[in-house]
Amino acid sequence: METMDQGVLVHLMSLERAGVGQQDQHQSERIQMLKVRAASLRAKRDQLKHQASVIKILKDKIGKNLPFGDEEEDGDDETGGFAALQQSLLTAWKMQLKDLQHAHHLIGGFDLVECKEGKSVCVSFHTAYEGVYLDTYNMELDLMRTVQISRHNIPPSFPLEVLAKQSLEKDLKAFLQTVSQNLNALAARRQQVTLVKDLVGSVEVMESNELCNILVLMCSAQSEPPRAVLCTLEYKDLTQSLPTHVSIESEDKTLSGSPQWKKNQSLLLESPAHTALLTMKRMGSIA
Amino acid sequence: MDEQARSVLNRVIRRIPNKNIKNLLSKWNCLSADQLLALDYTKPKRMIVEHIIDCCENSSLNLKHITNLEMINHIDNPDQGTWYACQLTDAQDDAVCVELTQFKEQFKAHLHGVIRHISIKMKKHEDDAIWIRIAWGDNFSKPNHLKPTYVVHHLHTSYVFISNLMAKHKIFLCQALVVATRHGSIKDGHLSTRSLTAMRDLLLRRYQQVFPSVQAKIQQERDSPPLHPCIGKEHGDHEEMRHQMACEAFGHGPTPKLETAVYKLETRYRGNGNLTVSDREEFFRGVVRFSSSSLLESLRNCVSSGMAEGPVTPLLSAITRRGRNSFVITDKGPGVSSQASAPRA
Repeated sequence: METMDQGVLVHLMSLERAGVGQQDQHQSERIQMLKVRAASLRAKRDQLKHQASVIKILKDKIGKNLPFGDEEEDGDDETGGFAALQQSLLTAWKMQLKDLQHAHHLIGGFDLVECKEGKSVCVSFHTAYEGVYLDTYNMELDLMRTVQISRHNIPPSFPLEVLAKQSLEKDLKAFLQTVSQNLNALAARRQQVTLVKDLVGSVEVMESNELCNILVLMCSAQSEPPRAVLCTLEYKDLTQSLPTHVSIESEDKTLSGSPQWKKNQSLLLESPAHTALLTMKRMGSIA
Repeated sequence: MDEQARSVLNRVIRRIPNKNIKNLLSKWNCLSADQLLALDYTKPKRMIVEHIIDCCENSSLNLKHITNLEMINHIDNPDQGTWYACQLTDAQDDAVCVELTQFKEQFKAHLHGVIRHISIKMKKHEDDAIWIRIAWGDNFSKPNHLKPTYVVHHLHTSYVFISNLMAKHKIFLCQALVVATRHGSIKDGHLSTRSLTAMRDLLLRRYQQVFPSVQAKIQQERDSPPLHPCIGKEHGDHEEMRHQMACEAFGHGPTPKLETAVYKLETRYRGNGNLTVSDREEFFRGVVRFSSSSLLESLRNCVSSGMAEGPVTPLLSAITRRGRNSFVITDKGPGVSSQASAPRA
């Protein structure tokens, strides 16, 4: 009857008080639960963070080839569990390196670059002569079914087809080595022609070609009267940078038969063209 | 000077602009300095030609000199007429040892042996190209100098470039080339252009090819001015990748100026149209032709700007890879027909 006397508002207030009191209880329970959960999650997070950082340090150490197991900052209980991990990481690394070494041997030490997701590889051939780097040639090999040459920038006069027919399918290493050897010889012969033109101005190059397997030079001999001498250098062996055959011709038969020119002929056979000509010039054989 | 010589001279002079005539005549070296000075290049062509004919008659020049003039003109301006490429195959063991004099002798000997009246002129240009001019006659008539065939060959390569060859003479020329270069056979190269320079650049690889390699990331020539420091390129990586892809397929820098590429379709229609069964059995014949003032450059631009999606389809990259611009696409699947499957040298 009190409630009826005091009115609806008072009734509502008492109901309100009762409700709030109950929520409080639930809330505090819930808050308690959540606090406990948060604490446990934080602890777990810290543990995982720690584990991850230790593994990272180990990996870095392997990468830098540092010995580990010596510097023990942490206590024994942690590193004990990681001994097996170290072992397996090391073994994996070693196997990877061994595979790489085997692959390198297979391809004869050339640098192969993978392209098109493993469907083809690209190989570079560097050429050099007398300590100077000359052109670099590239070749793309298609590996789909059989090894085939897909494209390349080797000069078209080079007998690449012949070499490919000989050894590409059977022995890749031999093929790459032969091509490299032939390319280096070609670059060497071509460089000799350039050097003859640049360094020995008095000698005229009468004939030469892209493959540089023949070289005809016209020199003027220092004789009375000065005579023209034609030197023909034939390079029948394309893996060599020295000629296989040298012939000397002149209008004056005695000149080409003289011991001096016989010596010059062997000089041209045994040393690079530009060196031989410079020596001949120095010795007074030619102008 | 006979009628033929006069017509040849007329044709040569008529085709070149007046300002180049002086250069050509001095290279020809058959007219004296006075005669050259006396020529007035401002007069109409007809009068210049007559004047030159008079000079030639005064110096008693004959057909041989005139054909030399025509050849010099052709060597200096090779991009006239239509050129076709042929490829020599089955090189014999001594193909590499063939040298210039041997080639010349054997070529001439073979042709003189099969055709009684024939006129062959060979010249070696400084870039190792051998130019051959052939005026064909037959067993009864003299060589026709008004329709000469021109052949260009680089020794030890397997490519021969031919212009203005009639079908009936083709077999003789092919035989002579095969014998003189010590190869087994010759086949059609499926490449034809108006510009010999472009054809040579493409087949003899006189353009800069790009290969994927460890160090090289090609220097992208930025035509646009350097970017403002506050502006960042969101898709820089993609742009570089597209540029690399385009250059790998079509070369870097100036490309050979090919003008057309033709694809003949010999496939069957596979759409969902309202066709009967018999219609589907027949070939759907079509021809796709790409034309441009510089085809490879425009294709490269298409790919590097993103207009064409990468990776570059082998149908387009086959132009540079196989060195041809005429293809036949059959039903054997995407790609070029099996005729062209042999990689080129």
